[in-house]
Amino acid sequence: MKRRDFLAAASASVLPVFLDGFGLKALNRQSALVQALGQTQAAYSDRVLVIVYLNGGNDGLNTVIPLDQMSQYNALRSNIAIPQAKVLTLNGNDKTGLHPAMTGLRNLYNDGNLSIVHSVSYPNPDQSHYRATDIWMTGVEANVTETTGWAGRYLENQFPGYPVGYPNAQMEDPLAIQIGYLTSTALLGSQQSMGIALSDPDSFYQLVGGTSATSPSAGGLPCCDAGDLIAYIRKQQALSVGYASEIKRAADAGKNLATYPDSTASNALAEQLKIVARLIHGGLKTKIYFVSMSGFDTHSGQVDSSDTTIGDHATRLGKVSAAIAAFQQDLTLQGTADRVVGMTFSEFGRRANSNASRGTDHGVAAPMFVFGTNVRHRTIGQNPDLSNLSGQASNKEIPMQIDFRRVYTDILTDWFGTAQTTTSSLLFRPFPTVSLFSDMVETVASGDWTNAGVWTVGRVPTANEYVRVNAGHTVTLRQSVDVRNLRLDGKLVTGGYTVRMTG
Amino acid sequence: MLRLDTFTQPLTAKTAAHLLRRATFGPTQAEITAFTGLTAAEAVSRLISNANYSPPPPIDLDSTASTAGQPYLDLPFNGDRNFAFGHYLRYWWMRLMTDQSAPPSLLDKLTLFWQNHFVATRDVIDDYRFVNRYLLLLRNNALGNFRTLVTQISKDPAMLRFLNGNENEVGKPNENYARELQELFTVGAVDFDGNKNYTEDDVKAAARVLTGWKYTNFWKNGSTSFDTTFTSTKHDTTNKTFSVKYNNTVITGRTGTTAGDAELIDLVAMLLKHPQTPRFICRKLYRWYVNPNVTTEVENAVIIPLAQFFASDANNYAIQPVVEKLLTSQAFFDDTNIGSMIKSPAELAIGAMRLFNQPVPDMNTDYVAFKKYFDFMFWRMRDMQMALIDQPSVFGYEPYYQTGYSQIWINTTTLALRSDYTDAYIWQWLEIKTGYKMGIDVVAWATSLQTNFADVSGTPAITCVDVQTAFSKNLFALDLFQSQKDFLIDTIMMQGVPRQSWVNEWNAYRTSPTNTNRRNAVKYRLQNLMRYMLRMAEYQLF
Repeated sequence: MKRRDFLAAASASVLPVFLDGFGLKALNRQSALVQALGQTQAAYSDRVLVIVYLNGGNDGLNTVIPLDQMSQYNALRSNIAIPQAKVLTLNGNDKTGLHPAMTGLRNLYNDGNLSIVHSVSYPNPDQSHYRATDIWMTGVEANVTETTGWAGRYLENQFPGYPVGYPNAQMEDPLAIQIGYLTSTALLGSQQSMGIALSDPDSFYQLVGGTSATSPSAGGLPCCDAGDLIAYIRKQQALSVGYASEIKRAADAGKNLATYPDSTASNALAEQLKIVARLIHGGLKTKIYFVSMSGFDTHSGQVDSSDTTIGDHATRLGKVSAAIAAFQQDLTLQGTADRVVGMTFSEFGRRANSNASRGTDHGVAAPMFVFGTNVRHRTIGQNPDLSNLSGQASNKEIPMQIDFRRVYTDILTDWFGTAQTTTSSLLFRPFPTVSLFSDMVETVASGDWTNAGVWTVGRVPTANEYVRVNAGHTVTLRQSVDVRNLRLDGKLVTGGYTVRMTG
Repeated sequence: MLRLDTFTQPLTAKTAAHLLRRATFGPTQAEITAFTGLTAAEAVSRLISNANYSPPPPIDLDSTASTAGQPYLDLPFNGDRNFAFGHYLRYWWMRLMTDQSAPPSLLDKLTLFWQNHFVATRDVIDDYRFVNRYLLLLRNNALGNFRTLVTQISKDPAMLRFLNGNENEVGKPNENYARELQELFTVGAVDFDGNKNYTEDDVKAAARVLTGWKYTNFWKNGSTSFDTTFTSTKHDTTNKTFSVKYNNTVITGRTGTTAGDAELIDLVAMLLKHPQTPRFICRKLYRWYVNPNVTTEVENAVIIPLAQFFASDANNYAIQPVVEKLLTSQAFFDDTNIGSMIKSPAELAIGAMRLFNQPVPDMNTDYVAFKKYFDFMFWRMRDMQMALIDQPSVFGYEPYYQTGYSQIWINTTTLALRSDYTDAYIWQWLEIKTGYKMGIDVVAWATSLQTNFADVSGTPAITCVDVQTAFSKNLFALDLFQSQKDFLIDTIMMQGVPRQSWVNEWNAYRTSPTNTNRRNAVKYRLQNLMRYMLRMAEYQLF
């Protein structure tokens, strides 16, 4: 190794030289400011995604409750069923309710800032925590293994070559931040994580030491795995130092304007989202934040023995709901709400039948929540049909309605503005939209109007939705229907019925 | 060559240190010296025979408690102290990992392997007596027989609690344990090529085999014993049929008080007959001891033959011979496998205590200092993402199973925490007790290198090179390049001034060792050097 290279590599953790350090940082900040002022923002460039992982496999059927099928619901899980009177009802939707602990999310729904995506899964679902988590995070078919994460692939496509040459004038901030100490598979790029782990923005700078850094050289390493590991660690050293001052600046400038659950609530998710909101407000240009909450693997005792509306699962759902509601309120007060969207996911849902331990074993599909001011439909898909579940008598599973990669597709294409062909290659094949961010409900196939599978939103369009029959599709009416507006690029077989336009 | 054949060359300091770093939590300098010249077989045999199976029991470390300094496991259950007593078990175990006065043994590193394999956590187990029994089961059988280990852990009270086995009853199955028993403990989810090793119906069938197990006296204040029980009326007595993955094995349903054990024996026999079980375990051992990166070459040349041996009739799942074979193999000592992993927080934290000879205060007579010592280590290790007996999930610590493996230990935040940890050895701010400041007295160390310290005119001063050489002895798994050594001396230690200045400064200090300014002048350089070396990427490897 050349001495110059080693110097460059080693300076990442060099002892701080305070005067030089401060001088250099001031310059950096100034030039970053100049850069920012000089840049014309592309339409999508300031958009942020917040991924909320509910670790363990959340029980979807006690999260989003089918009010139209309460007798089947009670029969499947009498020892953990939420009494109908306690279920939170939703404006304009008498079929579906939320767990009583989720008042915050209920309000978001009623305000039009929450989409419930029903029964999300994928073909040939896996019930191993490890494998199922991997499938969700890498975004692949159940029979394919992949070492990169879906969000990591997006970031790598946007910021090629990372981490070599980063931070730089075009992107001086971390591409992705996971609040915590480890980075998730979802953020893995082809070489390493595209994100950084950050537990506390206030102490990060101090901890890292905030010294100047140049990018370590790739040459002059020992052979084999050891050399790869040293190169990896040096890159992490350089990144941590390189990002420390930007994170400090954002953390100092950003403020939380909403009230979050206080520390006595032990709401880890709220604590994490609080940091995210502060960094967004502080102007960090990070594209993706990853936060998580564990404890959803409720094999046993998910409800209290005397009252099914309280207990372990209720506590967790309450925390999720309160955390997201406070976060959304914070963004609104900050004026940043329009450029942030969030999604929750869990590796699988749980079985429709409860077990005798007042718990539920590993299952298949479960709802996702997508939140933010930009969601356009409050429900995607419909309640699972509890009379037609798959599986044996006491092992009933909730089948998939919506493939999770359709949600990813909308996030990549419609939220981040990725070209459709690029999104298809990032997800290994094209997936139809679920119209998450589009007012337009479109056809994805030919069929009867009343067939939920015909529509992007996985259900029949409502009277106040815009509808488009896409070219190549034929939709057949079996009754008259109301829509806001209808655009016909394909065919409509009316059979004497009419489409009334309310808009 | 990456082969299982025995490595026959006598150990050098480098290969002895490699063996000790991997088989224990890190060597002392004296251990490296003592192991140099042995064959690998002799060395591993010592690491095995040095195991102490009857260490003194854990004691109450709360100096304000009435039972301070006394063993507590033989007292009636005391719920008021449950967390503390469970937590002190960790310190009890960490002592066995850290103590430099005991001869080096591989037992506790291997016990940690099993604890991270058959994961159960203090937090979920909750009752400290259950945690203790679980830990002892793993420790006492770590080198024993895998069949025994799987059978015993399946009805261990802590495991019954951790994976809800106690709630698994006839007609009301709870599948949690049945799934992890297959996916994580024996056959593994998939084979090397990614094919599934069992079906969802196999999970359900195994759950039915395992119905009826319970435990007694959990968290019962004043209770003096607890045990596993089998309730035959809660047991599913029908036949259990498994898939083609298990050759359509049928486990005959039994009745009566012996039904649970009889069916468990059949189940474990079936699981251990699965051709993937020995490979899954051997692959995991290889990743733990040798290299997380298992290539096709390694799979064929090391894992498969080792697995065949592990499951052979002659060996019948004995663990010790497998560990011996692996740790004495050519693959283990291959150059490419030295420095091929990133240290876990345990290897970093405990390894530094051992290499820098930070004595563990006597647990019984000096328990306040003992607690302080391990408080520091435990909470730092937890921040670096390795809380002992407190894995984030049943999979164990992420760097042992997730893509990326040992790299996962390192990110922007944990790297900074690691630096902060090693910095503590330099600044010596932690006072374990009066007269014992944790860390490295760099001036004393340099002084020990100087012959005839007081004879300034007659005996030449130690040079920068002498200091850098001594301070980095056995510090890194791999040798530094000459350019790196020069950088460390000229840029870090000397900060750009000529090397001769060191000699002048050192001799000035030798002349007046009580002069604070002169002492600080050399101390500053020595601290800079050592602190930097401990922050280097190379130090994170082992």
